[in-house]
Amino acid sequence: MTRRWLSVCLVSMGIAGSIANGASAQQQKVGAAPEASNMKLVGWSDLQARSAYQPTIHKQGSRFIAYVGHHGGTDDVPTPVNPMTGQPEPNGTSILDVTDAAHPKYLRHIPGAPGKYEDGGAQMVRVCDGAQLPKGDKNAVYMLRTYGGQAHEIWDVADPSSPKLVIRLDGLRDTHKNWWECDTGIAYLVGGAKDWRTKRMTQVYDLSDPAKPVHIRDFGLPGQEPGATGQVPTDLHGPISTGPQGNRVFFGYGTNKGGVIQIVDREKLLKGPPEPTPDNLRAPEVGRLLMSAWNGAHTVFPMLQMPIAEFANDKDGKTRDIVMIVDEAILNECNEPRQMIWFADISIETRPTMISSWTVPEASGHFCQRGGRFGAHSSNESMAPVFYKKIALIAWFNAGVRAIDVRDPYHPKEIGHFIPAITDKTDKRCVKVDGQDRCKTAIQTNNVETDERGYVYIVDRANTGMHILELGGEARQVAGLK
Amino acid sequence: MISRRTIVQTSLAGGLIAGLAGFSLVANWWPKPDRDEEATGWRRIAWPFPRDAFPAGRAWTRDGTEVYVRPKLGFCGNCDTGVVEDSEIDGKSDIDLLDDKFTPVREGKRIQITDLAGRARLYRIKKDGRERLAQGIAVSLNCDLIVAVVVGKVDDDAVARAAQRFLETNTVQVWLNAALEGK
Repeated sequence: MTRRWLSVCLVSMGIAGSIANGASAQQQKVGAAPEASNMKLVGWSDLQARSAYQPTIHKQGSRFIAYVGHHGGTDDVPTPVNPMTGQPEPNGTSILDVTDAAHPKYLRHIPGAPGKYEDGGAQMVRVCDGAQLPKGDKNAVYMLRTYGGQAHEIWDVADPSSPKLVIRLDGLRDTHKNWWECDTGIAYLVGGAKDWRTKRMTQVYDLSDPAKPVHIRDFGLPGQEPGATGQVPTDLHGPISTGPQGNRVFFGYGTNKGGVIQIVDREKLLKGPPEPTPDNLRAPEVGRLLMSAWNGAHTVFPMLQMPIAEFANDKDGKTRDIVMIVDEAILNECNEPRQMIWFADISIETRPTMISSWTVPEASGHFCQRGGRFGAHSSNESMAPVFYKKIALIAWFNAGVRAIDVRDPYHPKEIGHFIPAITDKTDKRCVKVDGQDRCKTAIQTNNVETDERGYVYIVDRANTGMHILELGGEARQVAGLK
Repeated sequence: MISRRTIVQTSLAGGLIAGLAGFSLVANWWPKPDRDEEATGWRRIAWPFPRDAFPAGRAWTRDGTEVYVRPKLGFCGNCDTGVVEDSEIDGKSDIDLLDDKFTPVREGKRIQITDLAGRARLYRIKKDGRERLAQGIAVSLNCDLIVAVVVGKVDDDAVARAAQRFLETNTVQVWLNAALEGK
């Protein structure tokens, strides 16, 4: 080998070594600081080291209460001990007073269904005031939650330290992310009804009096109904309704594959013939957008009537109806196509058009090497004016939470992020290498929600708890916060 | 100036080299039958389906029976219970790749392929313009699925069992194990 070639090889080895070191330097370590830009930590709760799915923040009188749904326990700790009772309890719902965001106060844990990971717990939670529901107890505050995969439950949480079970709707499969209109009581409950060819479809209920649920109809994509044959359409993930004023329900089907966005006429859905025939299922549909087989539609978040600055001088089309579509990454260490966020212009509802997408640049943190999932999972779903149509907060698993400026949805851009530090309670995530588990520990920001004050709540799937954040710098300016 | 003879000779030589290179490429690309394939008579055929959400699988044929198999990482609906419902075979076994208007013939039954458990179901499909029978199979390993479709006279237990035994050979299992690790 000539000296010149030797030096080329040494330089190459040096570069390769630097890249490898760069990747390992990105591996999270207990005790290391969080990574942040234009976002900072205000408060934290360990959530009793329970794997967390969905946080919902509800204003009750002068207090702000956080309700956090949990997955089932882990192989290592199937039923964590609740320090408040001293008893092991299957993961369920954590209730915290977050009025003082710097000092969240853990009030109560309601146990969920026994079972590990997605098989147990009580992942989803929505809250409505009895005073707002048409036939509710005016003194009650109702919390709707899933119970494992088999049921939905409604609790009265007027005293969040002492919740009382109101009712359970049982006998289902794979219950998931519901939507509940507090002003009408109409609820779109996600699960699998008997004989349907999917584990996740919609059961529309009138929960205006939560103690007396009234079943309105079952709904899904034609082909999912009982007795159908042939190809089975993608499972539902969750709906979002704009209520009687908007008269639309946006259904997102799929997690990381075969996404379908279905735009439905709410009135026709509620008042149409309820028998689940293909024609009856097709009747309320206004529009549909099929995504690539590589991406799913975990969340379909409507941002209607958005003024677009670039189009301000156009004679028509100055405002656009937009939906933000969030995929869900489900495999560890990038063993799947990238799951990210997409924006579709649905102004012409019968011809929805994808207009843009956004992803965390992988190289910005070597996220495929960090461990766990890397990719989008969910957005905040609060439509409070502080962030709505200005900033979307997106949970991105090992890349933490991302604040995206969506004022021009044709050109979304990141304006802040926060990746929490891991703790000694953060659970490992493994992949198989040569038949053996290779495990790494990384933050797994699962879901995010916001409150009307502008606080951002992120919860961790890998048992690291709930982090309460506030925006700074450019992000704070975009939100219009002082 | 180059003579016509030289041009012709050069062209012939070039053509020969290109032909040999092409033949060598095809010979190397197309896998030689392994020991299990030779012993059992199953012959590898091309995966005939267009790209979809999952990487392409592998396919074999023998005596009018075809087997299509592939892993689907993270696609099991319930990582704890595995495949327990017929709707999961309908929706996940790739039977729709053969015919998206498939009709189940009867209820599915439990099946075990090596140490992986799941369900199998008999379907009527239309393939190449004629009616055929097919068995859809879905078994799970934690959150991952392995799916297969066997097309042929699978209402005959001996045919279905033979295909199942082939799925348990090293030919299929070694490849599946590597594919389940994302390799």
